[in-house]
Amino acid sequence: MFYWSLKTLFAEPARLIVSALAVAVSFILVIFFSAVFEGEAEKMVVYLEEMEADVWVMQKGVSNMHMASSMVWDWKADKIEKLPGVKEISAILYLNGPVKIGGKDWFSYVIGISPEYPRTGPWTMAQGESMPGPGEAVVPDVISKLTGVQIGDEITMIDRPLRIVGFSKGSFSMASAVVFVSREDLGDLLDGTDQYSYIMVYAEPGLEAQALVENIKEEVNKVNALTSEEFIASDWQLAVQMGAEIIRMMTMLGTLLATLIVAFTAYSLIARKKHELAIAKALGFGNGQIYLAALSQSVVVTVLGLLFALLISFTLLAWLPSVAPQINLAVRPHQFSSIAMVTLPVAILASLSAARTVVRVDPMSVFHQ
Amino acid sequence: MTTETILEAINLTRQFGRSDSVVHAVKNVSLEIKRGEMVLIMGPSGSGKTTLLSMLGALLSPTSGQIIINGADISSMKASTLAALRAQKIGFVFQAFNLLEALTVEENILFPAQLSVEGAKGAKGRLDELLERLGLTTRRKVLPNTLSGGEKQRVAIGRALINRPPIILADEPTGNLDSHKGQEVMMILHDIARDDGCAVLMVTHDPRVEEIADRVLWLEDGALRDRKAEQHSWVIDPVCGMRVDEWTATVLAEYDGHRLVFCSQRCLERFKKEPGRYKNKSV
Repeated sequence: MFYWSLKTLFAEPARLIVSALAVAVSFILVIFFSAVFEGEAEKMVVYLEEMEADVWVMQKGVSNMHMASSMVWDWKADKIEKLPGVKEISAILYLNGPVKIGGKDWFSYVIGISPEYPRTGPWTMAQGESMPGPGEAVVPDVISKLTGVQIGDEITMIDRPLRIVGFSKGSFSMASAVVFVSREDLGDLLDGTDQYSYIMVYAEPGLEAQALVENIKEEVNKVNALTSEEFIASDWQLAVQMGAEIIRMMTMLGTLLATLIVAFTAYSLIARKKHELAIAKALGFGNGQIYLAALSQSVVVTVLGLLFALLISFTLLAWLPSVAPQINLAVRPHQFSSIAMVTLPVAILASLSAARTVVRVDPMSVFHQ
Repeated sequence: MTTETILEAINLTRQFGRSDSVVHAVKNVSLEIKRGEMVLIMGPSGSGKTTLLSMLGALLSPTSGQIIINGADISSMKASTLAALRAQKIGFVFQAFNLLEALTVEENILFPAQLSVEGAKGAKGRLDELLERLGLTTRRKVLPNTLSGGEKQRVAIGRALINRPPIILADEPTGNLDSHKGQEVMMILHDIARDDGCAVLMVTHDPRVEEIADRVLWLEDGALRDRKAEQHSWVIDPVCGMRVDEWTATVLAEYDGHRLVFCSQRCLERFKKEPGRYKNKSV
């Protein structure tokens, strides 16, 4: 029966390809949403990763950068810098909120930097200056591509007009763009010229970050200190939590869609071949054997759909950034393995639609013309 | 030819519907078919031929009665056991050929061999032998849609024979063939009974087949009567004067110590109204 089911399936290649492509579309949706989600989540912590600090220090009670605010007196930065085991520090002011660029509001991480701490600025530049002075800003190059803004154009941070002096690379995500301004401007806006939001601490070689965290917490009052790993994980977790439900729902919808498409394909194949199934029954094949044949057809359609999905996804994922630079995509092996894992259950569930038909096929119908 | 009974039906009845609307498709039919025998079941449309064939082929369970195949009573067997029995003991040949469209000639013939003890691989030798015997050797790799009707029916016969079943059940095997091809198929089935010792039971309307059959069973209104192929007993309907075969006639009456045969119920009714007018007209 397996041989019959496969030959029947491949006897109509156009129908098979259309069915497999339909399954592929639903799998592609799942892969695409997952890739966007992973890409966005990664971009949301890109600043923290690029700073390569060992320890992050912030206001007590704060443990995130995303959707958080933190204020630490600047003298505490001086105190931390003098602690044993500290090689150097950097400090930034920070605010998250909308910045109007090119006539559109972009939800942004606004980082207030100063020449005193040069490594707090953009890590890669596309064009222009990397250290904004008062009244100046560095914005992601993707926004320039999307809106057409140029160096010298004006943007608005809250109520403060700033002039673009540079475009940074790798600092954009749909959920938040990293905009660099001078510490003076942001301090003035926040009424915090003598404060920082986050202090990045770099340890002497050989000193464990965790030991430095303990030391800072002990020596400096009313601050929270986290190793860079903890801080990034905490922020990533927050980003994931915010999107996880949506992605889970999209994954379920995509999987459900795939199941329905395979089920429809399996059912229509079986329904169209009812007379041949009646022949098989009359010749002595049992319901179980015929159902397994239907299942094998579902598995073939689903696996073919998965292969098409992988092929099309890889092509799309490679091509998409050139036409839609605002979309951050990240493809990880676990995304494909989770899709592959749902393949078999999808095929089995889908083939159940044909099971009822198989049972109800009347072998007596072989006597009808 | 041995006298071993391969297929036996005892008081077989099949009814459809319930209470007032019950229809007896087959009524108290008993028959016995021996190895090497070719038996025809003939009768008018709707007489229950296909229902009888379906029951004898273990595709439909009887309402009452027994079917014994190769010594085993199949009346109380489970569906799965019946399926296995069909695969091993019964070969089917259908009017509509019923080949599997995606499979080649040899794949179609080998299809039921998956269910045999030796499996499809073990049946390869038998396949070559059948292809040769049925004149299909050069057509073994082609799909059914490229075959003529006669070739399709020969493939179906090959499929029926691949597992060496002791019984072949054929439902109108010449129904879709021209006379030449029909004759060819009949002779193949005849040879199968004679040379292989299979019991061939065939439902047909084709009167030419009567000449090569060992027995002809006449089924009408669910009941079966046995007659020889060459046996006809022509009598005259006393009412309308039509010639009627006494063997196949179903409207009969006794009058004044004579057995009268009528072509229809209508003639019988007319006779009953004025028997004196017609009583001397029957020959």
